[in-house]
Amino acid sequence: MPLVVLVCGALVIYPIAFLINESLNVGDPSTFPPEQYGFDNFTNLTDDYRALANTLLVSCIATVLAVIFGFLQAWILTRTNIPGRQRLERLMELPYYMTPLIGALAWGVLLGPKTGLVNQAWRSLGAPGDLFNIYSAYGIAWVMALFEGTVAFVMISAAMKSMDPSLEESSRVLGAGKLRTALRITLPLVAPGVLSATIFVFAEMLGSFAAAFVLGIPGRFYVVTTEIWQATLSFPPDYGRAAAMGLSLFGVMLITLTIARFVLKHGTYTTITGKAFRPREMDVGAMRWPLLALAWGYIVVAVILPLGALLLTSFERFATVILPQMHFTLANYQTALQMGSVGPAFVNSLILGVSVSTIGVVVIGVLAWIIYRSRMPGRGAAEYVIMFPQAVPRLVFGLGLLWAWINMPIPIYGTLWLLGLAYFTVFLPLGLRTIASVVLQVDPSLEECARVCGAGWVYQMRTVTMPLLRPGLVAAWLLIFIASVRELGVSIFLMGPNSKVIAPAIVNSWLSSSSELSAAMALIQTATVFIAVAIMFSLARRVSGVTQ
Amino acid sequence: MNRPRIEVANLAVRYGDVTAVDDIGFDIASGELVTLLGPSGCGKTTTLRAVAGLETPSGGNIRLNGETVYSASERRNVPAEKRGVSMVFQSYAIWPHMTVFDNVAYGLRVRKLPAAEVRENVQRVLGLVQMQAFADRPASKLSGGQQQRVAVARAIAFSPSVLLFDEPLSNLDAKLRAEMRVELRELQRRLDITSLYVTHDQEEALAISDRVIVMNGGKIEQIGTPEDIYNRPRTRFVADFVGSANLIAGKVRGPGSNGTLLFEAEGGVQLEVVASDASTERDTVALRTSYIHLGSMPGSHNAVPGRIHRRMFHGDFIQYVVDWPAGQLIVRRPPTELFDEGSEVTVSFAPIHCVLL
Amino acid sequence: MTRGPLPTSMVVLIGLLAGIPAAIACDSPRQMEGFKTCADVAKAESEGTLVVYSTDPEAAAEQELARFHALFPKIRPNYLRLQAGALYARLLAERQGNVYLPDVTQLADMSFALDFQKRGGYMQYVSPEMAAYKPEYKSSPEGYWTWGALVMAAIAYNPNLVSREEAPKTWKDMLDPKWTDAISVKVTISGLQHVEWYMLRQLYGNDFWSQLAPLKPHAFDSYVQQFDRLVNGQDKVALTAQYSGYLMMKAKGAPVEFVIPPDGVVAAPQPWGIVKEAPHPAAAQLFMDWFLSLPGQTGNAEVLLTHSARSDVPPPPGGVSINEFKVLTPTDWHAFEQTHAQFVREWNKITGLR
Repeated sequence: MPLVVLVCGALVIYPIAFLINESLNVGDPSTFPPEQYGFDNFTNLTDDYRALANTLLVSCIATVLAVIFGFLQAWILTRTNIPGRQRLERLMELPYYMTPLIGALAWGVLLGPKTGLVNQAWRSLGAPGDLFNIYSAYGIAWVMALFEGTVAFVMISAAMKSMDPSLEESSRVLGAGKLRTALRITLPLVAPGVLSATIFVFAEMLGSFAAAFVLGIPGRFYVVTTEIWQATLSFPPDYGRAAAMGLSLFGVMLITLTIARFVLKHGTYTTITGKAFRPREMDVGAMRWPLLALAWGYIVVAVILPLGALLLTSFERFATVILPQMHFTLANYQTALQMGSVGPAFVNSLILGVSVSTIGVVVIGVLAWIIYRSRMPGRGAAEYVIMFPQAVPRLVFGLGLLWAWINMPIPIYGTLWLLGLAYFTVFLPLGLRTIASVVLQVDPSLEECARVCGAGWVYQMRTVTMPLLRPGLVAAWLLIFIASVRELGVSIFLMGPNSKVIAPAIVNSWLSSSSELSAAMALIQTATVFIAVAIMFSLARRVSGVTQ
Repeated sequence: MNRPRIEVANLAVRYGDVTAVDDIGFDIASGELVTLLGPSGCGKTTTLRAVAGLETPSGGNIRLNGETVYSASERRNVPAEKRGVSMVFQSYAIWPHMTVFDNVAYGLRVRKLPAAEVRENVQRVLGLVQMQAFADRPASKLSGGQQQRVAVARAIAFSPSVLLFDEPLSNLDAKLRAEMRVELRELQRRLDITSLYVTHDQEEALAISDRVIVMNGGKIEQIGTPEDIYNRPRTRFVADFVGSANLIAGKVRGPGSNGTLLFEAEGGVQLEVVASDASTERDTVALRTSYIHLGSMPGSHNAVPGRIHRRMFHGDFIQYVVDWPAGQLIVRRPPTELFDEGSEVTVSFAPIHCVLL
Repeated sequence: MTRGPLPTSMVVLIGLLAGIPAAIACDSPRQMEGFKTCADVAKAESEGTLVVYSTDPEAAAEQELARFHALFPKIRPNYLRLQAGALYARLLAERQGNVYLPDVTQLADMSFALDFQKRGGYMQYVSPEMAAYKPEYKSSPEGYWTWGALVMAAIAYNPNLVSREEAPKTWKDMLDPKWTDAISVKVTISGLQHVEWYMLRQLYGNDFWSQLAPLKPHAFDSYVQQFDRLVNGQDKVALTAQYSGYLMMKAKGAPVEFVIPPDGVVAAPQPWGIVKEAPHPAAAQLFMDWFLSLPGQTGNAEVLLTHSARSDVPPPPGGVSINEFKVLTPTDWHAFEQTHAQFVREWNKITGLR
């Protein structure tokens, strides 16, 4: 049992150790181990203050936007009585299937200066300039917020659903109107959940890459991740600087996470008692229609518009948004489907998705139990370590993984095994967080009963704990599956000729072939993920029986 | 002046195919404490919430203080926050992110009272529930009993005309429950607030209510004072649910002496019984367990020989299972009346305690 | 091609004794369909695989490899695309970890090729086809790397936005302030950009670039982005515009025009070579022979729309022959390599990276 913890901990710490090692390398970057050690890479970071400032700016704006989106959607879909709530909740998962890269590409088409489709429409209405230029800090924040908004939504609505409704009812009975109740009662009570979501989203924003890559560089707006990217592409690659920048982001995140833990521990309001609450909806009367429009608005803006833009581009002979110039063709799809590397890349991505999620879910289930239920010493530290990868920008972690594994005597470099291992390491925090919330809700007496009946630890896990955790395990499986298939930051570094995966292929084609081709590939990828998830979901429902 | 405070008529609440409340009606006079009593799922909580405005009924109408707050025919439904009623919740619903003071002051502040008046009121009601010392404590640090008191204080702080209680004592342990029950009743009497109380605990209902409304399956079984309900149950359900009763099957044979009826139970047992009202086809007699004597009783009564089958010591009383020709009887006697198992006794009880259902 | 007094085997023996890696060549190359080879074809086919690392666009590179595969169906080509310096960095990282995956590699920057040669990374294989290449287009001694393609770049513009009269005709026309905030170039890591910077500096002095800086050019990783923006009107002119990009967009019907300045067109070579520890050496050699031959180069020019360093190869479809313009390319690559750090510093400032 402790072996699992040790192995996972080692998987996380090993690449980070390499990163730290490399960040102190002030000699020739291509020698290993480093010949000269020093702190120059860190002190030189002050030269890059602009990138750091940009990163913080974009992350803050994006986090605020994402939390607002998430909160509004969560409130509308969980606490009001607008029609079609269930369907909307399911639709809220959609942005998660698309990579932010695709979203950024699509928004470039929609809101590019002068010629973006929306801007063109705006001008045709008689406006003098653009409605908005997406190639800016706010543009990047907007795209990132649209995608992370779903994450914030999931976390905040979970907090809202687990609130005792009588807390709000008593306010209303005492004479407070709906607005006052919402502000004075609901908001403070879901505050811990919102805070938790905010911190998580902020961490994601700091390390995000795709949107800044597509929308930042053209406008000469660099953030830390895109600078790291540039650093690794040049020759000689400035790995030391890249590692130092990555570690400084890591440091910022660690501090933020620690503060968050501290605040949450001391200010938590135990509204989640494990009792099943039926959240009572508020009748919003005539406000139903505007709120419904708002909720659908998010779906349209986050999902339908970008997909539409991509669809348009994928059918064009050359990517343009100027109507008179458009010519249409199916050639892009033909090329995409015929490309020798695309087929294997899809297959690899799917194989990785299925295997990493399946193994991951079992291992993380055990880990979650150990950390939150057992009395093993050091489990607090274990939780901390396993959450590390969340605070390291994916790109940087990929570098660490590359060095760490290329020097291992085990010949897994260049194979799918390495990617699988890397994905597993990187998705540990995601899986742990999802399963932890379910573990905490399971009544310990259910498990204790099994032990008293004579079940050994393994038997108890298998027959009582795992089945009870099933909804959380299924959710974690799906999340990890989707994340694996659209993974980019780590795959870019670890991909080999025999282990190609799909997201880097899309980036490659965007960089070297054409936007239309990459749009076609992106849509094929989204459709594949969608179908795969739908299949998995129906399988899962059959397997989990009536526990739902 | 004597206008009832709460008037409920033809109230119906339906959720899809399920009818939670089926065409009920009752009135509650000013200063009364009326309890809705029944098993879980009988519709009592739904009714209470409908009066509060937290549930939207499917039909009927509700009037508070003479004003219609809900009417299906008029399509009128006043929202909860405008009804001026107050409520104590089963889970207390104390807001953990505020202090005790802020919790209690909430309703006053909503009504925009000046700060001095707010303070005065809060301290007054905290005094009434003996929680003055806790005024500045964060509400999340209170025990169950303390939360319950704060919930009550909060509910009465702005002197509402109607107070609703949703099983407020069910989360407390037995001893505390018994104490709090008395305190609540005292408080209600003192402040003379019209109260509608929901509970499934029949002992509680009997102890504190002016009148009891027994509900079952969305319908009202009987409305009456506690003594009425206890001594003159109108249906099997009421007899069985309230207090403990023996239900004796048999047939009415004709008139008995002194205005009683002759009832023949199984095994040839002949009893003199009374009917609660004009009798039709009745075949059951309800007999309370504590009204049965073991041994002879002076005066005109029913006396039948029997034998003690089982004896169980309950502390405040002893419960006997007695075999008698018509089957078995449950008898409750004070702990001073000790009989051994297997001994022969005479089971005797007055006709007035045999209620024909 | 060694036709010295000693037979090949003796050369190899002496080479081994002297510790010098010996050049592999042959006396009597085999004539295949359209090209000559010194490789052991049977062995190549038994190896069955060929792994290629390059920066070329995947779709195009796969088409070229498919032609090779059509000739030798038993050899399955496997292609990995990496960007610019990342390719070279990966190559070195792998070698340092004693992992050898690629057989053949293209490097987009001559500095890399020279560096790799210095480190002994290339296998020295003298292909019979190398005879068709001028000495300045291949390594010296030959057999390490050869220019597999020439990427031409000059100026491109959108005729819908910029009329023929307004369009720049020479390099110096680009310094006109009317192009402020409307120029696209490539990022610092681009080998092509380095060549352009170097050559224009040689032609016009460093003033050229210091005068360009205030025009705030936008830098991009790829020519795809540059041309997309040109077509969509987000930029008016592309300063480091690849001829292959222009041809590709023109073929799709997009509004682009290319300017061939009289002072010359910048050319960045793409050196190709076999990795010394190639896991499939015979297949690698066979491929190099074919790739450097007339059919191989013609195919490459067709799919990549670049020019070939061989003079007998026709220009890419839709393009003009290499003889029609003056080619600007460094003659002293070592000197060029040494300007790299300076280029990075200056170019980062010009593109606003630091």
